[in-house]
Amino acid sequence: MLEVAQQAVDAARRAGADYADARFVSTESETLTVRNQEMETLNRGLSQGIGIRVLTGGYWGFAATARTTPEDIERTAGLAVSIARAASRLPMEPIRLAEVAPARGSWSTSVLEDPFTVPLDEKVALLMEASRRLQGVPGVTFGEASMDFLRRRSSFASNEGAAIEQTIVHSGGGIEATALSDGEMQRRSFPNSFRGHIRAAGYEHIRTLGLVEETERTGREAVELLSAKDCPSEVTTLVLDSNQVILQVHESVGHPLELDRVLKMEEAYAGTSFVSPEDRGKLRYGSDLVTITADATLAGGLGSFAFDDEGVPAQRVTLIDRGIFQEFLSSRETAPVVGGRSTAAMRADGWENLPLIRMTNINLEPGEGTLAEIIGDTKDGIFMTTNTSWSIDDKRVNFQFGCELARRIRDGRLAEVYRNPNYAGITTQFWGSCDAVGGAEEWVLWGTPNCGKGQPGQVARVGHGAPPARFRDVQVGVR
Amino acid sequence: MADPVGPDEVRAVAEAALELPGADGVEVLLMHEWGGLTRFANSAIHQSTGREDTGVRVRVVTEARTGVTATNDFSKEGARSAAASALEMARVAAPDPLYPGLAQKAPVPERPGGFDEATAATTPEQRAEGVAALVGELRKGFRAAGAFETGAVEIALANTEGQFCYAPYTQSTISTVVAGGDGSGTAEKAASRVQDIDPAAVGARAYRKARESQRPQDVEPGRYEVVLEPMAVDTLVSFLSYLGFGGRAIAEGRSPFSGKEGQRVCGPSIYIYDDALSPDTIGIPFDFEGTPKRKASLIEEGVFVSGVHDRRSAKMAGTGSTGHALPPPSPEGAFPLNLFLQTGDATVEQMIAATKRGLLITRFHYSNVVHPIETTITGMTRDGTWLIEGGEIRHPVKNLRFTQSILEALSNVEMIGRESELASEFFFAASRVPALKISSFNFISASDH
Repeated sequence: MLEVAQQAVDAARRAGADYADARFVSTESETLTVRNQEMETLNRGLSQGIGIRVLTGGYWGFAATARTTPEDIERTAGLAVSIARAASRLPMEPIRLAEVAPARGSWSTSVLEDPFTVPLDEKVALLMEASRRLQGVPGVTFGEASMDFLRRRSSFASNEGAAIEQTIVHSGGGIEATALSDGEMQRRSFPNSFRGHIRAAGYEHIRTLGLVEETERTGREAVELLSAKDCPSEVTTLVLDSNQVILQVHESVGHPLELDRVLKMEEAYAGTSFVSPEDRGKLRYGSDLVTITADATLAGGLGSFAFDDEGVPAQRVTLIDRGIFQEFLSSRETAPVVGGRSTAAMRADGWENLPLIRMTNINLEPGEGTLAEIIGDTKDGIFMTTNTSWSIDDKRVNFQFGCELARRIRDGRLAEVYRNPNYAGITTQFWGSCDAVGGAEEWVLWGTPNCGKGQPGQVARVGHGAPPARFRDVQVGVR
Repeated sequence: MADPVGPDEVRAVAEAALELPGADGVEVLLMHEWGGLTRFANSAIHQSTGREDTGVRVRVVTEARTGVTATNDFSKEGARSAAASALEMARVAAPDPLYPGLAQKAPVPERPGGFDEATAATTPEQRAEGVAALVGELRKGFRAAGAFETGAVEIALANTEGQFCYAPYTQSTISTVVAGGDGSGTAEKAASRVQDIDPAAVGARAYRKARESQRPQDVEPGRYEVVLEPMAVDTLVSFLSYLGFGGRAIAEGRSPFSGKEGQRVCGPSIYIYDDALSPDTIGIPFDFEGTPKRKASLIEEGVFVSGVHDRRSAKMAGTGSTGHALPPPSPEGAFPLNLFLQTGDATVEQMIAATKRGLLITRFHYSNVVHPIETTITGMTRDGTWLIEGGEIRHPVKNLRFTQSILEALSNVEMIGRESELASEFFFAASRVPALKISSFNFISASDH
């Protein structure tokens, strides 16, 4: 399909584009959900088309179509140029793109077992068994098991000479137990909430998850939560499991360091950022233990690729180094505005959307010690695991996040269970209070497949690696 | 940018899927959508897009087993291929003991005026003029960001029971945040026809709010009286709907309204209903199973009446579909897409005058669920919040975080606005709601801006 992308670039140039790139994208998906041994969803999807992006007179235009005959492509390329010309109705400083060597090459996710060729009945049987076992735990009202697979093939061409073909494959699975009683509803998920653990991998990832093996514990914890006390309201020491640390990284580090937000390009919708370009190298974002990277070169992340969606090679970038803010997530357009180079963070949701600055794999780098050692080193506090809810203001300062389960830490040991736990804080104060970060042995690369941004709305699949971590003087049990 | 394909071609594509051998039932949902969005920030147009997409979503049933395949290959071949794939999936699925069958052939009500040629044909230049008019309302030191979208959709549903429904519709929305100094304001407008959108008026309203939001002061978190403008009310109504109005969640005990039919759940002045056929919203006259739409009363005089159903949840509840099915697969079941909170007789000015000490709130931001059964959500204020004392606006305040039960808030409604506004979502889900004055609303913390 590289030829189609090249045709589109040529058509855009004929229509008057100074710069043009085009992405032909084909996305296949498969979703399976079993609840109480009934098939809730069993569906496949295919979406393909072409998106054409142009710069004309220093203004962007973008048009996309599912209809890809030569005539449709010609018409769509012309529309992209018309859109760019219309943008000049409101004058601004012309857009200049950072120089980048035109890339040519191909890349694919490393896959041992193609998830789309694994027989459907094998997948259904595994989910049915997991659901059956969850349902068998006394007190469980709903036992759900799910799998999701995605394969996206993209071909990128630009008039600068870039010619890139990439194929990404994502596989994920999870289980969820729901217990209901007397106006209270509690859920426990494994390995993570919101449909489990999704990685850039093939079906071999599903085989490592232990979905059936973890049903008993998952179901039991959901039932136990029903009769637990609500998380007390207090200021205390908070230990977060790896699967909640990534939510904290996503909302209070990843988003505020997107340079388009900083430059107020997202002001009307997602919001802006408390971070400014002048903060680079100066702003204390967290404690010395907090080092956060953006690494699209990692294997297995939902933000892993070889080239971003404007053809810039994938990179590993240190965003926060030992607590000090260093770098933004940026693009060819935005990086020169603050005197830098693109950090290769431009990603589009399918063929039909223009690329935006998105997270890649944003990771809290490991420190030392296991979760057990961090808890053992905590005299009194609360441990929380598995995200349920998130809310943060438009500059990413004031946040409140909820989890599925909490436990009191007393004299270095996990004690009673609390339900409906949540915690709140102010971004830099919270990261500044971090006094323990778990080691590499506890570091997990998770997937967040539901990150929304942009108008029209786009959903990005991003990766986050993190170990457990500890934070002091945190407000928990917010009412 | 594109022309409608029309009902004849839609039917021809659908029939290619309906002819699938070996199935007990086939249902095809078809969509063709096109339009453009002119996005602006820093008072310049920076990310404009145009898009045309198609969709064929086939649900195949065999021996009460269901498979679904979607493709955007809008051709007979694409439809046939999707149907074959869906049948392959259905054959490995478990039978659904609650499978209700496909919708029977039934007449669909007329919904005149849903499609506007001028809106469907809006050019990038026309949208850019609209944005320029909006930005023209700002004075020096302020900037505007937002989006002006115009689009058209053809949607159709066909099944092997003989049902065929087709509806084209258009939609136009404009929204903006105007910011400058240390304040911001927002405004939006949605309509079926682009001619009913006045970008300059939207810009002027947002600018006025931004100008009046300068030098916000700190206020202590706590319980306040509030006057919520329609955008803020939409957050409450939309989350309440998400948490509670689906018939399946109600039947399964997961809804705050489970077992509450006929019981008081909020104040007696509250009426909430769904009505896709109303000319005051943007809707289509059938649901995604082909069931004709009709008005559904959800809360009357503060008493919960009933949830909404698709065919499956209706069978669970021993009733009929209310015409609120979502596209398959829809594991959460039916959902109301055209909500109304009934208007009252007050103006916002009267609400402010009746407030001893409270907050005037333009909208909420990034809200999320804290406790689903208690209908407790949390979120931030944004783009215009003011302290009211002695019936008068005193000064803007920095943004606050609320954590509040929606049903408790709706139990404390003292005044309801006489005007309503349509708050549009990405698809055609929309709520038409008025402003509310609520006697007690819980704010738990503050931000720095």
